[in-house]
Amino acid sequence: MTKPVIEVEKLAKSFGENQVLKEITEQVNPGQVIVVIGPSGGGKSTFLRCLNLLETPTSGKVAFEGHDLTTMDTKGVNSLREKMGMVFQGFNLFPNMTVLENIKLAPMKVKGTDDASATKRAHELLERVGLDDHADAFPDSLSGGQAQRVAIARALAMDPEVMLFDEPTSALDPEMVGEVLNVMQELAKEGMTMVVVTHEMGFAKSVADRIWFMADGYIQENNTPDEFFAHPETERAKDFLSKILM
Amino acid sequence: MKKRFGLLLALIAALVMLVVPVGNTTHAQAADNSLEKIQKKGVLVMGTSPDYPPYEFQATVNGKSTVVGMDVQIGKKVAKDLGVKLKIKSMSFDSLLVALQTGKIDMIISGMNPTPARRKNVAFTHTYYQGGYDIVINKTDKAKYKNKDSFSGGTLGAQTGTTQYNASKSQTKNTTVKGMTSQSDLILALQSHKLDGVAMEKPSAEAYVSNNKQLAAIPSDFNMSSSATSSAIAFRKGSTSLVNKVNKTVDQIKKENLVKKDYLPAAGKYLKTNTVNTSMTHYWKAFLTGIEYTLIITVCSVFFGFIIGILLALARMAKGNFFKNLLRWIATAYVEFIRGTPMMVQVMFVYFGLGLFVNLPALTSGIIAISLNSGAYVAEYIRGGINSVNIGQTEAARSLGMSNGETMRYVVLPQALKNIWPSLGNEFITLIKDSSIVSIIGVTELIYQSNIVRSDTYRGVAPIVVIMVLYFILTFTASRILNYFERKMQHD
Repeated sequence: MTKPVIEVEKLAKSFGENQVLKEITEQVNPGQVIVVIGPSGGGKSTFLRCLNLLETPTSGKVAFEGHDLTTMDTKGVNSLREKMGMVFQGFNLFPNMTVLENIKLAPMKVKGTDDASATKRAHELLERVGLDDHADAFPDSLSGGQAQRVAIARALAMDPEVMLFDEPTSALDPEMVGEVLNVMQELAKEGMTMVVVTHEMGFAKSVADRIWFMADGYIQENNTPDEFFAHPETERAKDFLSKILM
Repeated sequence: MKKRFGLLLALIAALVMLVVPVGNTTHAQAADNSLEKIQKKGVLVMGTSPDYPPYEFQATVNGKSTVVGMDVQIGKKVAKDLGVKLKIKSMSFDSLLVALQTGKIDMIISGMNPTPARRKNVAFTHTYYQGGYDIVINKTDKAKYKNKDSFSGGTLGAQTGTTQYNASKSQTKNTTVKGMTSQSDLILALQSHKLDGVAMEKPSAEAYVSNNKQLAAIPSDFNMSSSATSSAIAFRKGSTSLVNKVNKTVDQIKKENLVKKDYLPAAGKYLKTNTVNTSMTHYWKAFLTGIEYTLIITVCSVFFGFIIGILLALARMAKGNFFKNLLRWIATAYVEFIRGTPMMVQVMFVYFGLGLFVNLPALTSGIIAISLNSGAYVAEYIRGGINSVNIGQTEAARSLGMSNGETMRYVVLPQALKNIWPSLGNEFITLIKDSSIVSIIGVTELIYQSNIVRSDTYRGVAPIVVIMVLYFILTFTASRILNYFERKMQHD
């Protein structure tokens, strides 16, 4: 049996009085694509951000390849973050650098990769997301879909073992959603382990190995997409699906 | 003539005493080797306030601005008799006593009266000159005024911190007394009829009257003890051997009547050459030196202030363990304290206060003080700039495995600096102007140079106009250059 890449045990997070995550216990296996769906405010993004400790959990355990991040020092957390790429809703490209520099920065500064190999790798990744002709452009001049593809390439430049996607298409114009989802689908096909928070039900249905339905601070259902969309078990899930599938 | 040191200086002195509670008393009680120390050092540093002709004033000698006057002649004679070299340090009269006590200078010869109050703090030699007081008036008013009692309902002026200022206040009735720090300002105020008369020492009054045909002198008739009208040399308290030795020189000066016979006429000669060419272009070298020092101070202070600012800003944002919280607390307290105290006081504190431990030249002290001051302001700009960078930038960098420091250095700070560039530019321009404050500790920047030109030429307004234009040229050029870089950054 394969060991899980990410294990979450009794993970809880509160912002002041407001308990956003209530003791979540789940695991992600290598090569799995997990799609987290659920109503807004249900704690999906917070959950994802707890996985690489962008949010510090209030209690519980988050382990990556068996190492508990919550008890680790900053240095250890930094080195594990390298292995978990993250893509944000708002792209968060560095506006003062070109596309190429955006991608090269972390490999060069964190991993100590030399300029030539970092540049070569960056071009390969840009090729892969279909944007090599934009290598010298600044982020401001890109469309939303292009910017998000660059952000994916930037995360991939660190050769992560897991990719975390936090609503990657929510800030995009509808006609640009497709180009980003295509890149993600390609990644999934190549066997990348992914945890995706999204509202794209089509993507969830066709790409996900498991659907985690999350509402009110915990994961209410964990099922295959076929089962989940055909036979939701909880009232909360039924209610959610009835609203979005209209 | 000049009596008390200013309130501000008293405060600084008190502060300095607080910092070093034993400093001065140990000096006084230690075995007296003052004479030996000076002779071993080979240099005698004389402090003086060169705005009081003919006692001491600035004149152009062989194309160079030099301190001259009868006090300088006396200083030279004292040094010669001690077998050492004389070095002259100029500063405002108010600063002299503190400078002597903190070891910046070895003696004061600046027309200083050995009053009982001063005797508590310093040791005086025998008096070398017995003066008196006149009141300078506009010649057109000569029929109106006879002596100090004629100014009822009018306004008298005198140099602040001086004996004649206090006498004007206590010995007149119904008369408004206005104090200014510089003699040349007083004369200017007199000529523009803001004052009706200016009380000053006889030799000074005679020098002004002989150089300016529109002025006249009348006797003051102040009721004075002889200690208030005589001048003596001041040394640090307890330097008995040095004072005794110098007393022999002073006695000889008096016996041979050297002041009246040699020193005053020699000083008068400089006064005459002064008035030959008073055009501003004649003093272009003085102004150039001023610009040079103003720029040196500004550029150095901006550079160090920026570094201090970044460190302070980072310290102010530190959070977490006890050490980091302490660091934040210290940085916050520093910024608040610096922003809550006048830069002038800070400059004097660095020069006189730190001077107790390390002997810093005035220019270095000025740069240190202004850098420390500017750092506090720059820190606030940078903190604002860092906060203005979207938190998503930090999150993206951290998610790529970059450490807190790498994130700050490669991602956040470059963007923050771009955002605050206009504010930083403003700070630079402000510093060009604020650097003028270091003139009080005798750094030869623009303001200081203009004061020299003013006392040199007896022209009050022209040098002010010149430096006003020069400051504007400096700031305007600087702002053009900054705008250029701002536009360039916008293209990136």
